Amino acid sequence: MSYELRAHTADVAVAASGGTLEATVAAVADGLAAASCDEIPGVDADRVSGGDAGSDSSGDSGESDDRFTLEVRAESREALLFEYLDELIYLRDVRLELPVDNRVRTLERVDEDAGDESEGAGDEGALEEPASRDGHASDRWRLEADARGIPLATIDAREVKAVTYSEMRLEAVDDGWEAYVVFDV
Amino acid sequence: MTTTFDADGIVLEQVREHVWELPQEDGMRVPARVLASESLLEEISEDRTLEQLRNATHLPGITNYAVCMPDGHQGYGFPVGGVGAMDAENGCISPGAVGYDINCGVRMMKTNLTYDDVSGLERELVDALFEAVPSGLGGGGVVETGVDTVEQILERGVDWALEAGYAVEDDLLHCEDEGVRAGADASMVSQKAKDRGKNQVGSLGSGNHFLEVQRVTDVYDDAVAEAFGLERDQIVVLIHCGSRGLGHQTCNDYLRKIERQHGGLLDQLPDKELAAAPAGSQLAEEYYAAMNAAINYAWVNRQLIMHRTREVFADVFDRPWESMEMDLLYDVAHNIAKKEVHEVDGEDRELYVHRKGATRAFPAGHPNVPAAYRDVGQPVIIPGSMGAGSYVLRGGENSLDLTFGSTAHGAGRLMSRTQAKNEYWGEDVREELESGQGIYVKAQSGATVAEEAPGVYKDVDEVVRVSDELGIGDKVVRTFPVCNIKG
Repeated sequence: MSYELRAHTADVAVAASGGTLEATVAAVADGLAAASCDEIPGVDADRVSGGDAGSDSSGDSGESDDRFTLEVRAESREALLFEYLDELIYLRDVRLELPVDNRVRTLERVDEDAGDESEGAGDEGALEEPASRDGHASDRWRLEADARGIPLATIDAREVKAVTYSEMRLEAVDDGWEAYVVFDV
Repeated sequence: MTTTFDADGIVLEQVREHVWELPQEDGMRVPARVLASESLLEEISEDRTLEQLRNATHLPGITNYAVCMPDGHQGYGFPVGGVGAMDAENGCISPGAVGYDINCGVRMMKTNLTYDDVSGLERELVDALFEAVPSGLGGGGVVETGVDTVEQILERGVDWALEAGYAVEDDLLHCEDEGVRAGADASMVSQKAKDRGKNQVGSLGSGNHFLEVQRVTDVYDDAVAEAFGLERDQIVVLIHCGSRGLGHQTCNDYLRKIERQHGGLLDQLPDKELAAAPAGSQLAEEYYAAMNAAINYAWVNRQLIMHRTREVFADVFDRPWESMEMDLLYDVAHNIAKKEVHEVDGEDRELYVHRKGATRAFPAGHPNVPAAYRDVGQPVIIPGSMGAGSYVLRGGENSLDLTFGSTAHGAGRLMSRTQAKNEYWGEDVREELESGQGIYVKAQSGATVAEEAPGVYKDVDEVVRVSDELGIGDKVVRTFPVCNIKG
C-alpha cells in the first residue's frame, strides 16, 4: 500500500493504491496525516507491545500504545471512504491528536440478514450500533479501523479542514485498488 | 470581430474589457463569465477553474450567469472566486458552493498609531501577538467553553461577545448585519460540529489564515479614505480566519444529508461536491439556519482575536487600547450564501447569492450597507500575500449589474502547496521578508510559511486594478505588512 501527495492549486490531493480495499483506504488516511505533518514521529519503542492488526482489539484503551479505534457506516463504498476520513478529522479536533499509522481492519458490505436488525425502525437515528453520523437504514457498508494518535501539542502540524467529494475516485484495478481524494486545506 | 480566448477547448468570448463569457451549451442553465484581464485569465485557465465554473452553471435556478472573480482559482466543486445567485423559490442552496470554511473572512481594525510609533517594536509586537493569539492545529481558543456557550454564540453572534465583555457597541455597528445573522438556529448544527467548535472560539487555525499588522502606504481616494478613517502611515490590523472545525463539520454534515435525501438532483450535477438542496425543501431551510449559525460563530471568532489584539497593543504600548482608537473598520465574509433581493430582468427577485472566495461589494446608497458607510459604499478588504500589499476598496457602482454586488477576496493562489514546499524553504522566506522588506513573520510551522510564500499568489495589484476598472470595487487605500503571525 502506498500514497502520494498530489499538487492542487489551493488544496491537497492524495492518490493511494493497495492490494486490498482495506489497505488502499488506510493509505488515503496516512496521506491525510502526511498532508498535515511533514515529519511524523515513530512509535516510542518502550511503549509498544504487540502491534499486529488484531492483537490490540481492546479498542480505545490506551493500554500499551496510543491507538484508538473507530467505526463508520455509510450507504456506498465511496460514501464510506468519505465518512471514514471525515471521522478521522473530527477525532483529531476533539481528541487533539493526529491519527497516524492507520489500519483498516474491516471494510465490508453488511449482508441483508445482518442489516435487518437496523432496518425495522427505518428512520434516521434508529440504529443502535455506533453510526458515523445520523444512522441510516441504507447504511450497508461498514468500516472498522484503528490509528495511533499523536498529541497535537508535540508535533508541527497544519490543519486539513475537510475531506471533499471533488474528483474522488475509489476503483478496482488489475492488482488491487486505487483511490484519489482532494482535501480542503 | 469577437475576441476569443481558447483554454484547451473551453472558448471564452470577450464581452467587453475584462469581461469574458462562456456561452451556454449542453447542460448549462446559463452562460458563465470570467472577470479578468488577459494576463489573469491566462493564470485562471491553467488549472480546472473554468471547468468548475462551467459545472456551477448546472445548478438549478442559477440566474443570469455564474461569475468568476479576477482572483479565481480551482477549488472543489465550485471554483474559489465564484459567485452564483440561485432563485430562492425555485432554485437551490448548495453547501459546496459556500465552502467548508463558512464565513471565512477578514476584518480590519484601525488605530491612531503611525508607522513611526511601531518602528523598532516589531519584534516585541510579533512575539506578543503570536503568544496571545491561538493559532495552528490544536492550539485552543481565546475562550475554551462548553456546548451551551457555543449554542449562544451560534444564535447571538457578536451580541454574545458584547455581553461577555469581548466587544464594544461600536464593533457591532461596523460589521455586516451588525454581527448577528438572523435566522441562525443552533439546533441545526450537529453535536459533532459543536464539539469541534467548543475549544476553538478565538483561534486563527492554519493554512492561509493570519493576523497582520500593516501600515497604510497609499491613498487613492481621499474623500472615501476620510470617511473610512484611513490615512497614510496609519497602522491597521488585518485578521483573516473563519468558522474553524465547527464550520467545516457543518458543511460536511449537510453535504452528506443532501446526498442521502436528494440523490436524484445530485445525479444530474457534473460534480458531487456541488450537492444542493432544492429551495423550499426542509433540508434547504435547515442548512440555511445552520450556515447562518456558523456565520455567527466566525464573526465571534474574529471578534475574540481582535479583542486579544487590543490587549496586546495595550501591553506593548503601555496605554489603554481605547486611547489608540482601535476601532473596527469592517468585517467581510468570503464564504457564504445569503438571501438577497436583486433586480433580474427588471423585476426584484429573492436569490440565494453564493459567494465562495468572493466579497460582497455593495455600492453607495444600498440599504444593506451599514449607516456609517452608506454614503460612500461598503468597505471591501482584499488581503495580499504576506510580502505584498493589501487593499481597502469600496463597493463599486457596477457591482450590482455585473456580479450581484461582489468582487475579489484576495490575490488568489497560483501555485499548489506541494509545489510551494519544493520551491521555498520557510526559514529562508521568513528571513528574506525581514531583512529585505522589514516584515516580521512568526508561524507555528515553517511549512506554512513556505506554502504561503509571496510567490505562490497572483499579483494582487492586477486583481485590484481589474476590480477598480470594472467598477465593482474601487481602490481606496493600499496597505503593506509590518508583522504577520500565522498557524
